[in-house]
Amino acid sequence: MSVGGGAGGAPSAIDAKKLRIYGLVGSVVGIYLAAILNSALNTTLFSFVGAVASIFAVVMGANAVRRVCGYGIGTGVPSIGMLALGMGIIATMFGLSVAEAMGFGLLGPIIALVYAMVFGYIIGVIANKVIKFNIPVMEEGNADLSAAGTMAILGWSFAISGSLSYDAIVTNVLMTGYIAIIFIAGGLAILHPFNACLGPDEKQDRTLVNGIMIGGLAMVATGIAAISTQGLASGLLLTVIGFIVWYYFFMWYYRLTKRDASAVVGTGLLPPSAQ
Amino acid sequence: MNFDINTIVYLLEIIVGGLLVGIGVHFVPVGGAPAAMAQATGIGTGTVQLAAGSGLTGLLAAGLMMSVTDNIWVILASGAVGAGIMIDATMLTGSWIYAYAVGAPFASAKVTYDPITGWSQPPYISPGTVGQGIPTICFVSGTIGGMMGGLGGAMIYYPLYLINGNAALSAMFAIGIFLVNAVLASWNIQGTIEGFHDPKFKKWPFAFRACAVASVLLAIAAVMITGGA
Repeated sequence: MSVGGGAGGAPSAIDAKKLRIYGLVGSVVGIYLAAILNSALNTTLFSFVGAVASIFAVVMGANAVRRVCGYGIGTGVPSIGMLALGMGIIATMFGLSVAEAMGFGLLGPIIALVYAMVFGYIIGVIANKVIKFNIPVMEEGNADLSAAGTMAILGWSFAISGSLSYDAIVTNVLMTGYIAIIFIAGGLAILHPFNACLGPDEKQDRTLVNGIMIGGLAMVATGIAAISTQGLASGLLLTVIGFIVWYYFFMWYYRLTKRDASAVVGTGLLPPSAQ
Repeated sequence: MNFDINTIVYLLEIIVGGLLVGIGVHFVPVGGAPAAMAQATGIGTGTVQLAAGSGLTGLLAAGLMMSVTDNIWVILASGAVGAGIMIDATMLTGSWIYAYAVGAPFASAKVTYDPITGWSQPPYISPGTVGQGIPTICFVSGTIGGMMGGLGGAMIYYPLYLINGNAALSAMFAIGIFLVNAVLASWNIQGTIEGFHDPKFKKWPFAFRACAVASVLLAIAAVMITGGA
């Protein structure tokens, strides 16, 4: 096997099961840690931990996209990313709302995650059995994707609202329209990595580093939104951390691109005859 | 939430809306990347983008009408017409580009004679392509598809708004339901389709079944959420 895990039916350097555990544990622990820190210290400064938790989910989602789309789905990679976010938004709202109605507001992320994984698995079964895709990893891939979309939306929503309560997220994220930013930026972070790197020389590490890089960009966007909902300090902190994440992983991605390219040469400007 | 006869009506409305979206996608002439290079018939973008576009326009048109009246038929009609106009405008401006900028004659590769105009198609297909532009039959089919998508979007949004009374939440939730159904339908048609005259259109019962299962699960989640603050 090559250094970064080559493509073609998507063999990988890091096992999908391991990535799933990292993604789920990382995002759930991150969101709860952020919520507890914020409420215990009575501040909104730790909202950025929620945004970092989203990046764990993004890595899991990007890996699921590359596994499923490695088989070819015929409609382009963006469709599956939009599906992930579509399932994610429903699971997020459902989980938070039901938990609030039951009186255990803190259970929201868990209920959302369970609904998302069950729903994603069923969509995968439908895709294989009814639409006849016959992709072996479709069921677990869709469960992963749905969970990743849910946790990404939840983490970034938390980063903007600063609280896990349903009312706060509806008021600060949905009513303000920032959900649209999360939707598109989060969707890009999940679907774009494989879309950008796909091809016979696609490598797992390059794809996933690209995902983290776009996750950083989404953090910058949510940070700008958070300035208006949580004040300058929390929002700016989120933006700066997002920028650092983006810069670090962009340079890493650039190194990996140079590693995988057959040659990197400067072409100079176009010669006059070509214009 | 209170479970009563209204809840069942809401559930049915959302399921029917989801099915309309899923079937409506099959009518829209989607060409994807090949169409963007004028090498296939249809609009040069993906199914999900077109479905989401028509659905969101339908949703906006329905939402606007809801601020004026609460008559369901007017709201549904507004959604359908809004989305139909959106898809028509896309196809019309796209056609201008194909006709005047790319310079390709419009031709369908799936039928020998256009069922509406009766004009012969094969002589106008460039070698190595599967048709170009948006012929009459595709335009008519696309209008029907857009209107079905808009009707579906309005039909999902209307009960959601009645359940939770929060326009922003209902709209986002409707987008979620919309995307799931649109993606399932686009998987069924495997990327490109010309319209109801395309042989692939016969696959719609698979999408019907898939969208029915998905819509039931989505509708159950939808009737359980509250409007928040």
